[in-house]
Amino acid sequence: MTLFHFFNCAILTFGPHAVYYSATPLSEYDTLGTSIKAALVYLGTALVKLVCLATFLKVSENDNFDPYQELLKALIGFIDVAGLYFALTQLTHRNISQNHKFQAVGLGWAFADSVLHRLAPLWVGARGLEFTWDYLLQGLEANANLVLSISLAALGSLMWLRKNKPKTLIPIIYACAGIVATMPSITSYLRRGMGWQLPKVVGFELFTSLVMAFISWQLFTACQRPSA
Amino acid sequence: MAQRKPRERDMLDSMYSMLALVFILVACVELCDAATVVDVYRLIQYDISGVPFGSRFATLNHHAGSLHFPSGADLSRTVVMIPLRELNITFVREYVSRKQPLGGLLFLLPEMFKLDNGGSSKGIQDKQMMKNVLVELERLLVHSKIPYPVYFAFENDEIDAVLDDVKKNDATGQPATATTGGFKFVVPTSEPKKVASPTITNIQGWLQGLKADGDANQLPTIAIVASYDTFGAAPALSVGSDSNGSGVVALLEIARLFSLLYSNPKTRGRYNILFGLTSGGPYNYNGTHKWLRSFDQRLRESIDYAICLNSIGSWDNELWIHVSKPPENTYIKQIFEGFTNVADELGFKVGLKHKKINISNPRVAWEHEQFSRLRVTAATLSELSAAPELLESTGGLLDSRHFVDETAIIRSVKLVAESLARHIYGYEGKNIQIFADNSSLAINPSYVRSWLDLLSQTPRVAPFLSKNDPFVLALKKELADHTDEVNVQHEVLDGMFTFYDSTKASINIYQVLSVTFDLLLLLVLGSYLIVLFSFLVITTRGLDDLISLFRRPPSRKVKTA
Repeated sequence: MTLFHFFNCAILTFGPHAVYYSATPLSEYDTLGTSIKAALVYLGTALVKLVCLATFLKVSENDNFDPYQELLKALIGFIDVAGLYFALTQLTHRNISQNHKFQAVGLGWAFADSVLHRLAPLWVGARGLEFTWDYLLQGLEANANLVLSISLAALGSLMWLRKNKPKTLIPIIYACAGIVATMPSITSYLRRGMGWQLPKVVGFELFTSLVMAFISWQLFTACQRPSA
Repeated sequence: MAQRKPRERDMLDSMYSMLALVFILVACVELCDAATVVDVYRLIQYDISGVPFGSRFATLNHHAGSLHFPSGADLSRTVVMIPLRELNITFVREYVSRKQPLGGLLFLLPEMFKLDNGGSSKGIQDKQMMKNVLVELERLLVHSKIPYPVYFAFENDEIDAVLDDVKKNDATGQPATATTGGFKFVVPTSEPKKVASPTITNIQGWLQGLKADGDANQLPTIAIVASYDTFGAAPALSVGSDSNGSGVVALLEIARLFSLLYSNPKTRGRYNILFGLTSGGPYNYNGTHKWLRSFDQRLRESIDYAICLNSIGSWDNELWIHVSKPPENTYIKQIFEGFTNVADELGFKVGLKHKKINISNPRVAWEHEQFSRLRVTAATLSELSAAPELLESTGGLLDSRHFVDETAIIRSVKLVAESLARHIYGYEGKNIQIFADNSSLAINPSYVRSWLDLLSQTPRVAPFLSKNDPFVLALKKELADHTDEVNVQHEVLDGMFTFYDSTKASINIYQVLSVTFDLLLLLVLGSYLIVLFSFLVITTRGLDDLISLFRRPPSRKVKTA
């Protein structure tokens, strides 16, 4: 629409990241460096992912849902998990608590994702005269993605960093992590396999992200209790 | 450390310049994601000896409105969409003649006027009504100066949907403005520029007659002339099927018929036939004037007479021969008698109209008057009973294929060819059909039809036809096929006319929302972020922290005080 609309959409897309950083104790412990490192790891991961996608995936002429290709895409999507693992375990952070580490990593991760995937379309599209709801929905999608990223980082830190966790919870943690990691494939299936419209898909994403966040939060507190 | 810092700064500087470059590149990305793009045709813009006429602007960037606007609304920033079927001519006249401000005008023509929409004749019942409205509209627009862009477009589903939406909005009493949203029309063209020295192209073709042995005298010549260019409210839509596409088609068919006769030495007549396709017809036959001037004296004197063909495509049973010499003149009498004889046989009437030339008047209403001014006997065959005014009956918006009857053209061809042949072969007064149906010399209706269809799809406003326009070349080639010798003459259109370009454009139709919506959205987003912030602070640090966030500044003030 106009520059005004662009700013509105940008606020919706990137605002929550800033708010999350400033509102939580992350800002007090100065974890910006961690977030930036995580973002850089995300960049590297995205590059590897692109190379893999370009090598192994056929370019589909139509927008149909091809299960085999989608499976491959989901497998390649797990490179994200590897990247997140690297960011959580291998990066030498200043001594910040695990509690803040995963949040910082998830935040950097989600922010880099938003910048990479959403900034350019927003700049090109939302400034145009024609009004569409697409960019606002995209902003909401970025919100859902933030929640999902932090959830995944939380689950990842539970999996890889915490040693003494209750045995009974381990399968649940892995299952949840699997679900969260395959979310991009699920939404892609909903959009193209089921032919859902964008508003419906975004609604679904928001809903599942909240549910997954709640579950991971519960898991996190459950794991924290015995250690405390 | 001291060494590292400048290097870092250098790096940062280069980063910034890179970033700036990226942003500049991104900002240059063309924003053309409009919901609908429609081809539009601009109202002509021209000057007559410095006096401006037509639409004086081309760029458009305004909200859309319809005729259902609330009374007293300010339309100076509104493009009024007017479909032809509900055109209220008094509204347009009022706005145009009182010079009331408008953002622009967009006339929606019915789809049947589309150039490539051949001869399908649906919606005949409202043709007549549409005809009157369109003639009046065109006259009004062409002869007034309009200080805003005026465009014509063809109706289609997309633009009809837009129009319905706009009407709905207007009906609720909310004219489209920046604060209420609606549709925005954008025509991103540059300002129109003057067409520098517009050229007009005349094409002539000779059919040489058979000279008797030892005859030193030049053979007499008969000229058949038709002007082929047009003028109308929308230059890109001025195809002029009747004026003067019909004359051009008739001329080509006559040339074809006589080329058949002249290709055989036995049937070659003792007359040269000169075919002339002239340009500049709407501008006092400027092309004809230049063409005749380029002849040398002897050639001009050898012309026995000239027949000009003008608008012969939609008549029922009466044609007119317009002359400027008195009817008692022997040549005129001879021509008229020849034509009436043939017309009687074919079952229609030919009338004679005499209009004296006023040499001091620059207006040349008929093409034959250019001949008469040079003392060459000439007559114009036309369906029009009276001389048209300047820039009228020159092939405007209305003059499309739907209103032209090809049988009328065929009958006209028969009349001219037959009477000419009788004159050439000396069969005057005898009832001999030279171009009888079903003979090898019969008129070919499909030839007439195909040329008429081509002419009805080709806008031919002379200033916008380049020297080597494909259409001009096609005319030249066709005439070359039928005649012995073809010459093309390029001249500069002189006189008082100046034309401006950008006759065609595309209109981008955007659906826009209002600034109010943007403000509201900003409010909603702001409160969303504030709520999110409070929620996060409360859950991670507790309510007290949130409250202390707001308390801290005053406490600081107290300290500093």
